Order: sequence, then C-alpha cells, then structure tokens
Amino acid sequence: MIVSRAIPAGLVLALLALLVLAPMAGLLHLSALPGYEPADLRFWESAYLRRVLYFSIWQAVLSTLFSVLPAILVARAFAMQPDLPLRRLLLGLFALPLVVPGVVVVMAVVSVYGSDGWLPLGRSLYGINGILLAHVFFNLPLAVRLLLPLWQVIPQHHWQLGDQLRMNAWQRFRFIEWPLLRETLPGVLLLVFMLCLTSFAVVLTLGGGPRSTTVEVAIYQSLRFDFDPARAVMLALLQLGLCMLVAMLTLKLQRMPEVEVAISTPYRRRSATLPVVVNLALILAATLYVGLPLLSLLIDALQGPVLKVITNAQLWQAFVNTLFIGLSAALLSAVAGWFLLQYSASLARQGRVTGARLIDLAGSIVYVIPPLVIATGMFVLLSPHVDVFDWVYPIVIAINALMGLPFVVRCLGPSIRQSHARYHRLCLSLDLQGWNRFRFIEWPLLRRPLGLAIALVAVLAMGDLGVIALFGSTQTATLPLMIYQQLGAYLISQATVTALLLLVLCLAVFALLERGIGGKSDVAN
Amino acid sequence: MLLIENLQFGYSTEPASNMHFDLSVKDGEVLSLIGPSGSGKSTLLSLIAGFLSAHHGRIVLDNNELQDLPVAERPVSIVFQQHNLFPHLDLYTNVALGVDPSLRLLPAQIDAVRDALARLGLENIQRRKPGELSGGQRQRVALARALVRRRKILLLDEAFAALGPAMRAELLELVKALVAEHEMTALLISHQPSDALIASARTAFICDGRVSMLAPTAELLAAETPPQLRDYLGHSE
Repeated sequence: MIVSRAIPAGLVLALLALLVLAPMAGLLHLSALPGYEPADLRFWESAYLRRVLYFSIWQAVLSTLFSVLPAILVARAFAMQPDLPLRRLLLGLFALPLVVPGVVVVMAVVSVYGSDGWLPLGRSLYGINGILLAHVFFNLPLAVRLLLPLWQVIPQHHWQLGDQLRMNAWQRFRFIEWPLLRETLPGVLLLVFMLCLTSFAVVLTLGGGPRSTTVEVAIYQSLRFDFDPARAVMLALLQLGLCMLVAMLTLKLQRMPEVEVAISTPYRRRSATLPVVVNLALILAATLYVGLPLLSLLIDALQGPVLKVITNAQLWQAFVNTLFIGLSAALLSAVAGWFLLQYSASLARQGRVTGARLIDLAGSIVYVIPPLVIATGMFVLLSPHVDVFDWVYPIVIAINALMGLPFVVRCLGPSIRQSHARYHRLCLSLDLQGWNRFRFIEWPLLRRPLGLAIALVAVLAMGDLGVIALFGSTQTATLPLMIYQQLGAYLISQATVTALLLLVLCLAVFALLERGIGGKSDVAN
Repeated sequence: MLLIENLQFGYSTEPASNMHFDLSVKDGEVLSLIGPSGSGKSTLLSLIAGFLSAHHGRIVLDNNELQDLPVAERPVSIVFQQHNLFPHLDLYTNVALGVDPSLRLLPAQIDAVRDALARLGLENIQRRKPGELSGGQRQRVALARALVRRRKILLLDEAFAALGPAMRAELLELVKALVAEHEMTALLISHQPSDALIASARTAFICDGRVSMLAPTAELLAAETPPQLRDYLGHSE
C-alpha cells in the first residue's frame, strides 16, 4: 500500500523539484557566469538597490504593524461579544479579502480614497499611503481570523477564576490572554510581513515609481521594461535571500494557530457598559474599513461604462482565460496535494514523522521561494530557447498550482491525517482498497476540505497578476492583467467595471466550487 | 483452535525488548487478555490481525498458518474502542461493507445483513447514521458487521471500555453468546477484571510482552503471584 502511494507522490515531488529547483539553479548559474552582470556594473552598491531594499522592508514593517496591532483589539472585541447580532456575517466579511484579488482591492481602495472617492487623498494615495491602505485591507481581517480562535480556546474556568480573584481588565489581559497571544503573535506578524514583502499587484499599481518600488516589482520592471535579465536575476536572488531569512525566523519563533482548534464555550461575562461600547466601536470601525471600499467599488462600477466594457470582445477572452487558468491550476494543485498528503499520512501513521514533515514542507515551498522568483528563473532560462509568450498557459498554470499547494496542504492535510489515523486499519481489515476506499470512505470524508482547497486555489490563480504580467500578452491576458492595462491607459472607470466583474467571478467560482465539491456534508470526521 | 507459537515482535532493535507470545484459544472460547498499559496486549491483537508483521513465529488456525497472509485475507474481524463505523454511512451500509467492500450485494447477502442487524436489535434504526446512536448501539453495529463477515477469529480491543457497567455487561454476554453460536474464537482486551469474569472462562495476564500467566479467570484474579499481577490488580499490600 505504501509503495502504491509512494509512486505518485514521488512523481509529484520530482515535478516540484523541476519547477522550483531548476529555475533556482538556473538563476544561480547565470549570476555566476562571467560577463553576465547587470547593465549597472556597480549594482550591489547602487543607490537604486538600497532604495528598493529599504522601501521593501519599510512598507512591509509598517503594513504589518498597522494590520496586526489593530487586529488584536478587533479580535478581542469579537471574542468579548459572543452574542453580537450579525457576528457570523461580520466574520464572513472578514474572510472576504482572502478571495478578493489584489488588483480588485486596489480598485476598491482607489474608489474610496482616490480623487473622486468618498475620502479623497488625492495624489498622495499613490505611494506608501495607498500601499498601506491596501495591505491593511488584506491583512487586518486575516490577522483577526488567525487571532480570534485564541480567545475561544481559553478555558471557561480561567475566566471564572479571574472573576473570583477580582482581576481587572488589565490583569485579565496580562494573566489570561497575553500568555496565549505571546506564543502566536510572532507567527502571525511574520506571516503578514512575508505577505507584504512579496506583495506584487498592490505595489505595482499603487506604487511602482522610483520612490516606491519593492524588490518584487523591481524584478518585473527589469524584465519587462528595462530588458535587463541580469539585474532581474540579481534581484530575484536578493528576494530569495530575504524570504529565506523571514522563513528561518518564522521556523525559530513560530507557533501558528492550528487549523482545527478545540473551541470552548464562550464565557459570557457581565461587562460594564464602557468596554462593550469600545468593543462595538472597534468592530464597527474594522467593518467599515473592510466593507466601505467594496461597497464603493460596487457603486462606482454600476455607475461606470458597463455596456462599453461588457461588449468588448477582449474582455470575454480575458474572462475565459481567467477561468481556464484558475480551474486548471486548482485541479493540478489539488491532485498534486492529494498524492503528497496521502503519502505523508502513510508515513506519519508508520511513525516516520520526519519524512512526513519533509513532504508537507515540500508542498509549502512557495512560502520560502516567491512565485515571481520562480517565474523569473523560468523566464531567463527558457527565453533563449523558446518564445516564452507561446508557453504562457502551461507556465502560468504550473506556477499558480505551485502557489496554491500550501493552501491544499493546510486545508486538506489535517483531514487526511485524521482519516488515516482513524480508519486505515478498519479499511485494511474490511479489504476496502483503491476505488472502493476512495468512493465510499475518502471522498465523503474529505470532499469538504478538498472543495475549500480547490475553491481557494482557483480564486487565487484567477486573481494572480504577478506571473501573468510577466508572461501574458494582449491575446493571453486575464482579467487582472486587463485591469492593470486599463489603469496604465488611465481608463479608471473601465478598470472599475472590470474589477467588479472579476470580483463577482471570483466569488461565484469560490461558492460554486466550495459547495459543488464540498457538498453540504454533515460529516463529523 | 487458534495457536500462537513463539510469536516474536519488537518495536526497537534490541532483542531483549522483543515481545514473545505463546498462546492457544479453543473454538467457541472468549479468552480475556489483561495487563498494564504498554504490556503488549494490543500489539498481540495487531499481529494476529496483520497490522504488524511478526519477526518470527507462527499464527495457526485449524492447521492453517496465517502469519504471512495480508490483512484482508486473514479470517479475522476486529472491533476497536472507537472509530469502528464510518460516520457518513448509515448503519446498514456500515454493516454491508463487511460483506462486500464494493457494496454489490446479492439478495442472500442483503438478507444476511438484515438478519445480523435484527440479531443485534438494530433493525428499526438501520438507516440512522452513527452520530445519532449511543456508544452501546455503535458497538452493536460493529458486532453486527463482525457477524456478517463470518470470520473465525474475533478480536475486541478494549471494545467496550467507554461504556457504563450495565451496558458493558450486556454486550459481553452478547459476545459470549455469538461466539458460542458461530463457533468463533475471540480475544478480548479489557482493563476491567469484572469483564473477564463475565466473558471468559480463561484469562491471560500479559506483562512485559509475554503471557505471564494463563488460568481460569477466577483463579487468576485471586492469584498471589506473579507480583506484577498483584500490582496490576491493586492487591499488592
């Protein structure tokens, strides 16, 4: 049995190695070739590089602090108000940024804070201000959702003990809440920092000028605008080094919240009026921060040139391309993740924990190696031999599938491991193997997390701007690339309509895949 | 007759820490296995079921050697303490899987499933899912599946440990009756000496990976030696 699981997993690992290690090896090899220096020979000492590096880290630090610190207060406010009306709906809204493409968020931010928006910031929106607004839009809700379970796992008895010992709010925070928070916070901070460090669509569209370019965007500019692959190689290696540094720090400090937590019954304390008002104000402010841009985008788009946009044949070509890339990447990622996780669960069951962990880590490789770095490696390796723009679909699908693999591992991994631990021996003793085991046992038990994983990967791939911007052309453009092109041509109102269409498409695909594959399963696995 | 002869197994590479079992169980007998945690009771059941492969020795049932057979081909049904049933399948399907894992059942096989459910008092709830049942009912379903599989050896790995005393006693009586009725050979692991008294004429005390004592149940539970048995039963002072 373990051999039959090892073969497909081995094939997936070989493909992963080819996709990730070959471009990396190519980048390293190219950087060492004599005469293969960037156009600027003193590149490593250049003011340009210092500026790009400084801005990359500075914007990521600020974005992280502005996202996570308020998120602690908002998550706490949600935790303290378990009976808040519409609580589930509000938390659902906080899950939305996970499936909204970066370029749509940019349009939503422009819609509220742009010159004609409800809270106009004028030209100062472009640059660090806009980047921070968009990054906080993405990451504040994410941090709230990562931190909220912490309060839900605090045992009721701790709260009761706190009351009995007459602890005030500060003492409760210090003795009951902070010990848990302290363990998780470094992991959440580093995750958000990494997301902001490798953010592409937001920085490309709201920054990108000489004063607000990150390493990630500089790689793209070197390849597509300056035609300086050597500089792109150097920048890619620099970005790789930065990400590995963050990953190592994460491994050292991290204690990420588990996907499945034992939720204890919320303890309903009798609170004074003031804390309740403060909690409600915090929740309202965060809700407005997340909700307003989307609402504004909706209104602006509906008032925009809808007919003109939807009668454009290129839009529908981009629509089909987006859907094709999203669904193909999701399918590929799910199949690869399935085989890897089945093998890793078999190893874990046999006590070969290190092997199992290594396989899970291999599936999460893009946490360490940014997709744009992989794409750059492929670009410079393949471009002397083939026209890379002819290979846009396989390349974009493969890299997006790779980007989705960590989500598959995280969504599906715990369920597959649990299913193995609980039912493997029973299946063996009942001779439930192969197709019968998949049909009667694994599919019903695993379709729900599988549906979630496929839906997530599909919308992430549909919203990707980084890889498609590198390899795409007018004929092969996806909706995000089209929005970027419309923004570049100052067709803001058309871009807003296209952004709404992309948003609706992503939400529809997410709902259809999650429900369609996941079903309305009531299985308590 | 089930014979365990010189059956050796070790989790570590040190020969001294190897488990080593010799045992025989008669047709129609429920043999209880008691002993401290980690003594090797569950390992012995896993070796018989084929989940683990013995390093050495024989498992013989009616002159047929089993130790080299794959799990599915061994004449064994096993009931665990929990997770015996697939939560998304109804009771009927959970039992029917024991007859044919592809669920393509002949009319006679369908009747056999229904008979087994009726024999265990489950005929009126066969379309319910496991989540809607009590702990005792779930273990009855697992026993019904063991019945329809018509395998000679029944292994019960702390199968009733999570149940209350009355329910446990009821199910142990039921097991005893079913084993006698179908001429099966059963091994029952339990931490409750009272379970052994109800279900088994003979009981084995397993300690440090060996059958330390095998005797009529009442005699074993009252024995003064070995000292580990006294410690285990809490009679050491």
